[in-house]
Amino acid sequence: MRYLFSVARKTDQYDAKKAEAQGEAPTAERDVNAALDILDASARGLGAFHINACLRCGICNDTCHIYLAEPQTANLPAAKAAVISSLLRRRHTFLGRHLPSFVGARDLTTNVLDEMPETVFGRCTACGRCAVHCVLGIDLREIIRIGRQMCAAAGRVPDGIQRTVANQLETGNQMAIPRDELLSTAQWLTDDLKLETGDDSIRIPVDEFGKRVLYLINPREVKFFPLSLMAAAGVFHAAGESWTISSKFYDITNYGFFSGDDTAAAEITRRVVAEAEALGVEEIVLSECGHGYRAFRWEGPRWLGKPYPLPVRSVIELLDKYIESGRIKVDPRKNAERVTLHDPCNLVRLGGVSEPQRRILARVAADFVEMTPNREDNFCCGGGGGMLALSEYGDRRVASGKIKADQIRATGAKIVATPCHNCADQLLELSKRYKLGTEIQAIVELVYNALA
Amino acid sequence: MEIDGKTIEFDKDGFMTEPGLWDEETALSIAVDEGIDEMSDKHWRIVKFIRGYWKEHDLAPPVRLLCKESGVSVREVYKLFTSGPARGACRVAGLPKPDGCV
Repeated sequence: MRYLFSVARKTDQYDAKKAEAQGEAPTAERDVNAALDILDASARGLGAFHINACLRCGICNDTCHIYLAEPQTANLPAAKAAVISSLLRRRHTFLGRHLPSFVGARDLTTNVLDEMPETVFGRCTACGRCAVHCVLGIDLREIIRIGRQMCAAAGRVPDGIQRTVANQLETGNQMAIPRDELLSTAQWLTDDLKLETGDDSIRIPVDEFGKRVLYLINPREVKFFPLSLMAAAGVFHAAGESWTISSKFYDITNYGFFSGDDTAAAEITRRVVAEAEALGVEEIVLSECGHGYRAFRWEGPRWLGKPYPLPVRSVIELLDKYIESGRIKVDPRKNAERVTLHDPCNLVRLGGVSEPQRRILARVAADFVEMTPNREDNFCCGGGGGMLALSEYGDRRVASGKIKADQIRATGAKIVATPCHNCADQLLELSKRYKLGTEIQAIVELVYNALA
Repeated sequence: MEIDGKTIEFDKDGFMTEPGLWDEETALSIAVDEGIDEMSDKHWRIVKFIRGYWKEHDLAPPVRLLCKESGVSVREVYKLFTSGPARGACRVAGLPKPDGCV
């Protein structure tokens, strides 16, 4: 009940006059107080470290793809951190309380709140690359997320992300796809797979009890880009895997992770885990989704306050095992063109999955080349952290992807493989805007294509 | 942007801010931006189906219906619209950007 109330409060229009007549604080004051609660709570945890942690040494400047594309002060990682740390300093340090202007401390006002989304959503993809280079190991993502939590508490999450969270809470998936449509799509793809492979026993199982694997997918695989789901079904069939998807909670994404709304993020996670238990599976396997992996694999247990009752893996890890153990046979000659690999920040730098995809590509593609830099030092594609959903920053997103475009061009690759649907869309757009002439494919598509 | 004597505005993702102003001339000019040299019969079938579905449901259609109603296979859709059904075909059809991971 409490949960429903908190959702309604955020998505409904707030009637300020009515609320004031009933003795509630005026909207502006209410928003500031809600944001201050988050800020003050953070000061007892991560925020305490961030109050004075940054030395402003500037080593991180050139690590940020957004600063490199738009070299303005506001895009410096240290300047972004200061948007939040200045507020902490004002309330939680002696000098900040008494001599704020001497220590760069400032009050949280509605103006500050109104400007906050521009920094925490519009100037940072929370890719964490600056943290890799920071001499103190400061993780800017942490402080940016405190800002996002404040925005969520104060009703200032940009619409493109907030609507997606609301869709996911209300319908169980971020694109509000009706259950019937999911079922029809699974049937349609099954029919196509039978035609394509000539194998009548191949299928996409839905809501089947007692299978080994519950496979979570990105709803865009149902609504717009089904080739990766078809490929996964083809590979699972070849491996003799026992698997199912759920028609209720199949969505691996979690926009509460992006928006800073931990209540929503926890609920989205809880439903999926409950569904896995209800279907009696042994393991949850996640489709190729960067933030979904980070959120579900690493943040989820923290949001729920307890470990999961069953193991969770990325499909990349599973495909790697299939190939290594000989459970599927692959022929690299079937992917003859040059392939390079883009590392999604949330899966690789922030998720710890970096080698399985490389072992796979070395086995399924005849000419696999790395882009530079890569792995934990890789550049963000520009579309991460929720940026892809925010049209208002479309120009900046494409401009900040130029580094990625240059990296890709230097490899001479015709295909960019990436284990993230969000990166895939950004890479598609980069290919078009920067005339790279590259195709973008999920790892599982290349594996399916290489099946011997 | 001036198209056929009308001023059409786009958001920073290149989607129309006022989808009601869409017409075939507008579609042609978005298609050029999309890198489509010539709008074939198949392009039009896809775009017109999306447009009709959106008018009725206020939503982009799922790719299953798109393929079924236009008679274009799923693999071919990505060849015709290299940015895919959402950022490619829906944009040419004058829809606002669909929500979520697209």
